[in-house]
Amino acid sequence: MTMLLAREQSLLLQALFVGGEAVRTSLHEGLTSRGLQVYQANGQALAERALTAAYPVVAQMIGEQSFAPLARHFWRLQPPQRGDMAQWGGGLAVFLDAAPQLAEEPFLGDVARVEWALHCASTAQDAQPDPASFSLLSSSEPAQVTLSLSHGVAVFASAYPVVSLVNAHLLKHPSLAQAAALLQSGTAEHALVWRQGFKPHVRTSSAAEHVLVCELQSGRSLEHALDAALEKAGSETFDFNDWLAQSVQTGLITGAHLLISIKTNEDSP
Amino acid sequence: MTALNSQPAPVAPVGIGWRHPHYGELLESLPALDFIEVHSENFFAEGGATLAVLRQAREHYPVSLHGVGLGLGSATGVDAWHLDQLARLVAQIDPVRVSDHACFARGVLAGKAIHAADLLPIPFNNAALAVLCANVQRVQDRIQRPLLVENLSAYIRFKSSDRGEPDFLNELVQRTGCGLLVDVNNIYVNALNERITGSTLDPVIACKQWLDQIKPSTVHELHLAGHLDGGDIVIDDHGSRVCEDVWQIYSYAQQLFGAVPTLVEWDTDIPALGVLLAEADRARALLQRQVETA
Repeated sequence: MTMLLAREQSLLLQALFVGGEAVRTSLHEGLTSRGLQVYQANGQALAERALTAAYPVVAQMIGEQSFAPLARHFWRLQPPQRGDMAQWGGGLAVFLDAAPQLAEEPFLGDVARVEWALHCASTAQDAQPDPASFSLLSSSEPAQVTLSLSHGVAVFASAYPVVSLVNAHLLKHPSLAQAAALLQSGTAEHALVWRQGFKPHVRTSSAAEHVLVCELQSGRSLEHALDAALEKAGSETFDFNDWLAQSVQTGLITGAHLLISIKTNEDSP
Repeated sequence: MTALNSQPAPVAPVGIGWRHPHYGELLESLPALDFIEVHSENFFAEGGATLAVLRQAREHYPVSLHGVGLGLGSATGVDAWHLDQLARLVAQIDPVRVSDHACFARGVLAGKAIHAADLLPIPFNNAALAVLCANVQRVQDRIQRPLLVENLSAYIRFKSSDRGEPDFLNELVQRTGCGLLVDVNNIYVNALNERITGSTLDPVIACKQWLDQIKPSTVHELHLAGHLDGGDIVIDDHGSRVCEDVWQIYSYAQQLFGAVPTLVEWDTDIPALGVLLAEADRARALLQRQVETA
């Protein structure tokens, strides 16, 4: 009996997402055709709303008239897996990268990656700043201490001026013309996404900062992360003290913690 | 003084669905409401502004967590992740009620588990009842409180149904100890669509007959909303005022079930907050009249 129910449910999902007709044998005539249309329309409208909410810049760049059918197509291609629609749509960047009709706008995938990171950061766990923990930086061995990043931090190295493109649409700074000029000149940008209070932000970062944050995200010691960052910086200046002060002020870094304590916990029975 | 204790004790709680356009205004004006209802899934985030706003509202109002995504009738079962998020939210908010729908949403498509993000109907038969009971029980065990299960507005009907919806819901309550959330507009929308197909002559009478079959003590909340008459189908869009027929059926439901909590829902084309509050006032006046004449 449950097998039959599972089959009926699968057939209905197939009808809604793929367009199969097999479910009709399980349904009373009546309003079936209109009813299925209503459910399909509900899903497609939801797809447009959810994807536009998560990707407002991609939606603007593609244009409303093209983004709506794209959202509906993506809905059928990658149906939600969870009942929280805020979780749906993370695969859009890969989808855009592979879409042949968007081949002339290869930066859209990276714009989508930044937007998804902003979307995720907005609902990430709230930061719990621990200013007292920074005393560890002076009281502990550099190889045993690291910095705590706020939740939702993400970094990207893009071959395109992805930060400028996103902020030009969201903040009007830089201007669209300036962002377009950067795109035309082949400017690459490193993007850093984080949340300050409840507000997610994206800004450019230097190659050294990009490496530093990547290493910190990987759980490396501050000493290791800083060495890697300075090596990447090469002849460019990277002032760690200035960076730390600014990062604490903007909420990127919430404190410091000992690596050894994590190892102790892992080793304990 | 909060919006709760600034008013005399209500005859029965009346609340409104609290949606994004009214987040700020409600928190600033704190209108006299007995509770507010939110869709649980909109607050599954680990942190951020939306969750903070709900916590703020909880300081002033009891909150009813109304789910639209558990998919309690899904043969593939309830998503463990979804249940984890709901349990966490329940622990954080301590809601006055927790509810979801007698529908399915999860299933297998091309070998993958998917979620339809909709309230899809289930047949009224033993197999669906067994699945629904198992899933409801699992949720209740996890959140450690009874769940209210809502009747659906459905645009398709399964041939495999072998009983009416009221009997099916009564059996669900008996087996699981859950309560019922009766959406009056959903019954009416179904009756209107049955009139289109010729299986019902008088939708209001059909709704009253539906309500007559429900065991009164099992009903713990009533929902009111508007719908859209598309001509060839009626859609439960929650996008307009409650119609006069639904108010009439609601009064009848009060006579049957007593003064149970009532919610006014409005989810599309959301109007000014005052419009929702006026609808809530009308429900409260009907409840008052019901108590006085009982």
